[in-house]
Amino acid sequence: MEPFKVLIVEDSRATREMLAAAVDLAGGVEVYTAVSGFEALKVLPRHRFALIITDINMPDINGLELINFVKKNPNYRHVPLFVVTTEGRSQDRERGLQLGASEYLVKPFESETLTALVQRYLKR
Amino acid sequence: MAPPRALSEFVAEANEVLETLAHDVAVLDAQRGREPEPDLLNAIFRAAHSLKGLSGMFGQERISTLAHHLEDVLDALRLGKVLASDALLDAILDGVDVLTLMLREASGEAPSDETARRATALTETFVRLASGGQQTAVDVLDEVGLDPAIRSVFTEYEEHRLRENVKKGIALWKVRAVFSLDDFDQRLAGLNATLKPLGEVISTLPSSQPGDETSIAFDLIFGSPRPQHEIETAVQTMASVQPLTNKPVRPRLVSEPEPDAPRTRPAPRPPVFASDVSSPELTPLSSSSPSGVMQGAEPSLRSLAQTVRVDIARLDGLMNVIGELLTVRANIHRLADVARQAGATPLPKLWGQELQKEARALERKLDELQAGVLDVRMVPLGQVFDKLARLMRRLVRQSGKDVHFEVSGGDVELDKLIVEELSDPLMHLLRNALDHGVETPDRRIAQGKDARGLIRLKAQQLGNQVQIEVGDDGAGMDEGRIKQVAIERGLVTRELTDELERRDLLNLVFLPGFSTRKDVSELSGRGVGLDVVKTNLARLSGLIDIDSRRGEGTTFVLTLPLTLAIIRALIVGVADRTFAVPLNSVTEIVAVKPAELRTIERREVLEVRGQTLPFVRLSRIFGLQELPVERHFVVVIGLAQERLGLAVDALLGQEDIVTKPLGGRLKGVPGIAGATELGDRRAVLVLDVAALVEELKRPQAAVG
Amino acid sequence: MANPRFEAQLARFFYRPDEDVGAWLELAPEIAEAGEVAEELPEEFLAFELGAEVYAVPIGAVREILKVPAITGVPRVAEHVLGVMNVRGEMLPVYDLKQRLRLVDAPQRVTGPTDLPRESRVVLLKDPEGDAGILVDRVQGVVRLPLSKLEPAPNLGADRRAVAGLGRAGGNLYILLDVEAALA
Ligand SMILES: Nc1ncnc2c1ncn2[C@@H]1O[C@H](COP(=O)(O)OP(=O)(O)O)[C@@H](O)[C@H]1O
Repeated sequence: MEPFKVLIVEDSRATREMLAAAVDLAGGVEVYTAVSGFEALKVLPRHRFALIITDINMPDINGLELINFVKKNPNYRHVPLFVVTTEGRSQDRERGLQLGASEYLVKPFESETLTALVQRYLKR
Repeated sequence: MAPPRALSEFVAEANEVLETLAHDVAVLDAQRGREPEPDLLNAIFRAAHSLKGLSGMFGQERISTLAHHLEDVLDALRLGKVLASDALLDAILDGVDVLTLMLREASGEAPSDETARRATALTETFVRLASGGQQTAVDVLDEVGLDPAIRSVFTEYEEHRLRENVKKGIALWKVRAVFSLDDFDQRLAGLNATLKPLGEVISTLPSSQPGDETSIAFDLIFGSPRPQHEIETAVQTMASVQPLTNKPVRPRLVSEPEPDAPRTRPAPRPPVFASDVSSPELTPLSSSSPSGVMQGAEPSLRSLAQTVRVDIARLDGLMNVIGELLTVRANIHRLADVARQAGATPLPKLWGQELQKEARALERKLDELQAGVLDVRMVPLGQVFDKLARLMRRLVRQSGKDVHFEVSGGDVELDKLIVEELSDPLMHLLRNALDHGVETPDRRIAQGKDARGLIRLKAQQLGNQVQIEVGDDGAGMDEGRIKQVAIERGLVTRELTDELERRDLLNLVFLPGFSTRKDVSELSGRGVGLDVVKTNLARLSGLIDIDSRRGEGTTFVLTLPLTLAIIRALIVGVADRTFAVPLNSVTEIVAVKPAELRTIERREVLEVRGQTLPFVRLSRIFGLQELPVERHFVVVIGLAQERLGLAVDALLGQEDIVTKPLGGRLKGVPGIAGATELGDRRAVLVLDVAALVEELKRPQAAVG
Repeated sequence: MANPRFEAQLARFFYRPDEDVGAWLELAPEIAEAGEVAEELPEEFLAFELGAEVYAVPIGAVREILKVPAITGVPRVAEHVLGVMNVRGEMLPVYDLKQRLRLVDAPQRVTGPTDLPRESRVVLLKDPEGDAGILVDRVQGVVRLPLSKLEPAPNLGADRRAVAGLGRAGGNLYILLDVEAALA
């Protein structure tokens, strides 16, 4: 069985690795990471991702813009997308969900939460 | 708790974030009194934000909580809800300090109550400061009729920037560009750089309309007072330009922007900042910072993910390998030479020439490799300058003096080890400048000086060396008082001081236990004196010189080698031994006939261009055989402000060397820094010039 | 992050192959050795000659045996320090044990192999204070000394502290060197 490809977009190195570990733990996945929105834009067309997890606050394009890009693009809009962010600000959160994010996790959260969510969304 | 490896990963990244934060905050601080740069504020906010998220994920609640409150304040600040008051800036500076302390505690240092206390107090301050917010009554964005679809992807901050532009009557544009997927990031950076002089790029939106497989479209939301055709001319074929809003932006204040002032803030606007210390002409701290925070198209923390942290010990390891390769290189050269010259028959001769050619190619590549590894060790001085600037501003405020602190050359790079060792000596010199140099405003005015004093910290690279100046325009040093104090303390005899030139009199301040202050002030006079500064510098093979004029000020000039790892050394012969003398402490080499030597109080001296130097035979201090010579080669050593002539029997050449410590048991041999290997693998001792100079200053030592 | 499974996972993620330096490989046999030492007492010694006497040090304390390299004299150190040698880039001191143990009267001056008979060697000893070489006249080889038969050092005077004991095998007497004391 092909593993599910999961893209993690996060500019903090340590957090990225931690997220990757949590996602990997869900089993049956192959984790890809991007350090910025731009990098995400570059890898998106190259793989068929089953799930995208993105931070909001990033240096080049913000996560909302990435969600908008994914959710309005017929090639990607079916892909579930989690926002993982420190952004507790309710306005940004609403926007994220409005734009089509499936889940909105506010850091810090237990990594088990993410593992469980990934398993839920990627049930075969 | 995170496992140890994860913890160290956290500490490393948090450290980087904090460094970025500290640097940017120092820039912000230097701009006190001006409206803060939006990009800068946003970068600072983002750093605090990252730190909060990062520490939260790694269970570092104390850091996360404080970072959170700091972030709130910064958020309010970047959204224009609160003013950049002095109290607020001070609290931010303090926040960076406390976060740094807490990170140290997180990485294993004993937690202190003091830190906890400061954190609690700061949290309260932050909460108080952040709540000063006011809400905008009418949303100007509604007025201009912005497409809600576009609006929905903006973060609160981007909206705020939009609003700020609209409020100023600056028109909003949509700049659309289509780039190849392969290199869109570089192309976007190019476009950004083109647009930046004309206005503010508020947001970069990847267009949701699917292009073909290989390209991607972007909409840049751009605020600019320039007419459409001008923007179009600037972007040429890179992009197309359209007004973003369907209703025209009504300028509220009519003010024609100056041609080269992109983000002119019209003067009549009520200031969104409070000023009481600095004037607008303050130069930003190290505006040419290499991280490009200030001038780059994207103020970004992105570099965090693109750097590799390396333990300096590993670099030392690489350096050692290179050192050994240098030796191999020397050997190959020698073999090639032998082959070429011994070639009675054509074959070895040709072969020798080939070998020689290859050896030269190897040499070039080795030089590159060496330069490459050296380069990796280099860090910008800005790292310490930022820290010093923060401390200085605080000290200036406490001192009640009016001082403009100017920093330049933060982009000059030095070996990391040197940079780290520099912060204490520099801080001491800066303190002195504030404490002993710059006078009180009253006194300055009485002397016809500007009430505001100037303290300058400046670095520049001069060839293989870096020069750092710490200067003030204060009272200057009083050689009469210095002389008197030195005599009173029994540091020198009156007879001796009568013979000393002004320059040498000034150098008396480097003697241990010297301080002309009668009352010990809070700022300086803390026991560490200029003598410690000098010793520290000598350890870094540095020189220190004083240039001081009465009534005009004092400048301390520090000269440092770029790196300590591979050094150029002079190879000298004494008796039947060979020694290496680091060239960075050699100021010149002269030859003297024994008859030209003089003695003062039975100590030998020699004269080099008008200056009288102690003359010391290396053979004598090392207890080696003294060969009769027709003339002495004298290696003139300059270290800190000391000069000394070291006599050797022969000059054998120069080499690049890597100094290695003598195995554990011999590490403390006075006057020997370590050993290195030259072509024949034999260990050659490297002199510890600083220690020799130090020991020869002691009265009984000169005879050896 | 209490989940141990997760912790292991994290550790794996943060593992970087470049951190996996040879040090562990080098350490491993030593750890194994140390383990054995506890059960099986050490009985292998390296025997070497100093003048007319035969000395021995536990094999575990020997890092390697070198042909006499070039030795660079170091000023301002004790007379029994011959100088430093370059062992593949590492600078290590070489001691003249005969001088240290007063087997000879005058210090010898050694700058390299040409000053010495062909059988001379430098035995490089491991030592927590810093490895160091000792110059010996000849290496005899490895001897097995039954530990139960080792004798304490006879009392020869206060300055003979570098002798840890005596061992006998095949009719020969071996003086066991107290490395720490000898290098002090
Ligand atoms: N920038 C300066 N301007 C004038 N005098 C200075 C300056 N820096 C140092 N000095 C003089 O040098 C003396 C020695 O300085 P230092 O060793 O730092 O001791 P301290 O600061 O404790 O007095 C000072 O007491 C002062 O007289």
